[in-house]
Amino acid sequence: MSTPKYLCVYRGAPSQDKPSPAQMQEMFAAFNAWKEQFKSNILDMGSKLKPSGKVLTASSVTDGPFAEGKEIVGGFMIIAADDYEGAVAVVKAMPMMQTPGACVEIREMASF
Amino acid sequence: MRGNPGDGVLLTDTSNPSGSSGPSTGSQDSVAASGLVEQFFRHEYGRLVAILTGRAGVRHVDLVEDAVQGALMAALTSWVAKGLPEDPGAWLYRVAHNHLIGALRKNAGRLRILEAAADELTLVANNPPSPRFDDEVRDDLLRMLFVCCDEAIPRNSRLVLALKAICGFSTAEIALRLFLSEANVLKRLGRAREHLRQVPPDFDSLPLQALQSRLAGVHVVLYLLFNEGYLSAQSDRVVRRELCDEAIRLTTLLTEHPVSATPETFALLAVMHFHGARLAARLDRAGGLLLLEEQDRSLWDQDQMRLGAEWLRKAASGGAFTRFHAEAGIAAEHAFAPSFAQTRWKEIADLYAMLDRIAPSPLNAMNRAVAIAEWQGPEAGLALLEAIEPPPWLLGYYLWDAVLGELHRRAGHKGEARRFIEQALASAPTDAERDLLRLRLASLESV
Repeated sequence: MSTPKYLCVYRGAPSQDKPSPAQMQEMFAAFNAWKEQFKSNILDMGSKLKPSGKVLTASSVTDGPFAEGKEIVGGFMIIAADDYEGAVAVVKAMPMMQTPGACVEIREMASF
Repeated sequence: MRGNPGDGVLLTDTSNPSGSSGPSTGSQDSVAASGLVEQFFRHEYGRLVAILTGRAGVRHVDLVEDAVQGALMAALTSWVAKGLPEDPGAWLYRVAHNHLIGALRKNAGRLRILEAAADELTLVANNPPSPRFDDEVRDDLLRMLFVCCDEAIPRNSRLVLALKAICGFSTAEIALRLFLSEANVLKRLGRAREHLRQVPPDFDSLPLQALQSRLAGVHVVLYLLFNEGYLSAQSDRVVRRELCDEAIRLTTLLTEHPVSATPETFALLAVMHFHGARLAARLDRAGGLLLLEEQDRSLWDQDQMRLGAEWLRKAASGGAFTRFHAEAGIAAEHAFAPSFAQTRWKEIADLYAMLDRIAPSPLNAMNRAVAIAEWQGPEAGLALLEAIEPPPWLLGYYLWDAVLGELHRRAGHKGEARRFIEQALASAPTDAERDLLRLRLASLESV
């Protein structure tokens, strides 16, 4: 059986704060360290998502998303871990999780 | 099987909303591990702002700063996901340059001065991103320094502007370093920017030589910058060292161009190196201030002292004797004295007298009195102090009271000593200084 995969969905509107150059350098270093530490877990760094898109139903195509600001999906990535505990550990160690308001939903991908 | 990491999602929201975390001491190792030199982002910010302001014109510095900020943000996302590009500096320049062209184009549309704006655009766009020589970058940085030190900008705005545009500190970081509120920093910055927006386009084509009259103003700002680090009540060593290093970096830049390589510049750099050499020894483990007498001289940085001596020697070429020459001379005497007791106090007293003639201030006279007291005894120092007619601001200044109290204490005048030390205690700005004064008060009781 292969290692379970998890989809990590980042929710929330992107921060309006502008980090300073010194803070950016710290983030860069922190992210590199995190990526290095969990390189065997990170299958796909995924992507940031642009704020607007389309929502399709059986009968319509509309501009979306229409969720509340804090529920909007802002990005995703795919990681591998033995279990939820492992997946949570990977995400918890991400530098961005120290930001107040950070919210990531982790869902195991069903394999068929 | 590993997928191909795309744009890093997890960089979307990493900024610290409180904005309070400056560069922290703990992360230096991981900074080194990231493949970038220390302060790379901050110094790139200053470099790119200088280059692009040189091309787009001083009046567009707001747009330039936004473009550079945007480029650094883009770098953060892209570099984490894809790794460092071969030449990170060139990558940043290209992206910032494109951001700026976009912003100028938008600006031109809004302003509807199409013809002039079109000229402006070609000016910027025809300068393709290309690797630039070090001396060109240096000239751009120097020009930016002269731009920030325009006498027409209020003095306290000039320092803030230099910290922002050249050193790459955020307003929150500047506030932390200068002990100001962020609102105050923004206000000062606003005044400076208001002025820069009015700078006419023909200013941008002036040769650096035409800005030489601003050199004295540049010295003042760099001296201020250094002292903010050196004299600061800030107990975080790293933060203090950083300001001193920035001042030294920019003053060194001045020495590299004929327009600003003057004996006064050399003397200023000597002052900074001599004081910088003692920075580590100035604080005790708890961040408290140590008096010169208490400092462990083996902690003084010998290499930096040699640099100070070298610049002081260069400063002596030419006939000028400026306030920085006097200050460098005093700092050199302290630096090369084998011990506190073996300091050449007479020379120091004489140098303070010269300094007072060049830049009259009762503080110079006060420092001279301290040197005289070490040389000829506390009564001689007190005699000098009593001859000074202190201006009102000096009377409320804790150092004045502290010096009087200390000299009276040494002279055995217990009553006066207690009175002055208690006065000093009431207005001393930091815990470290209050602790020191309390110790002296206690010593009055025990004798």
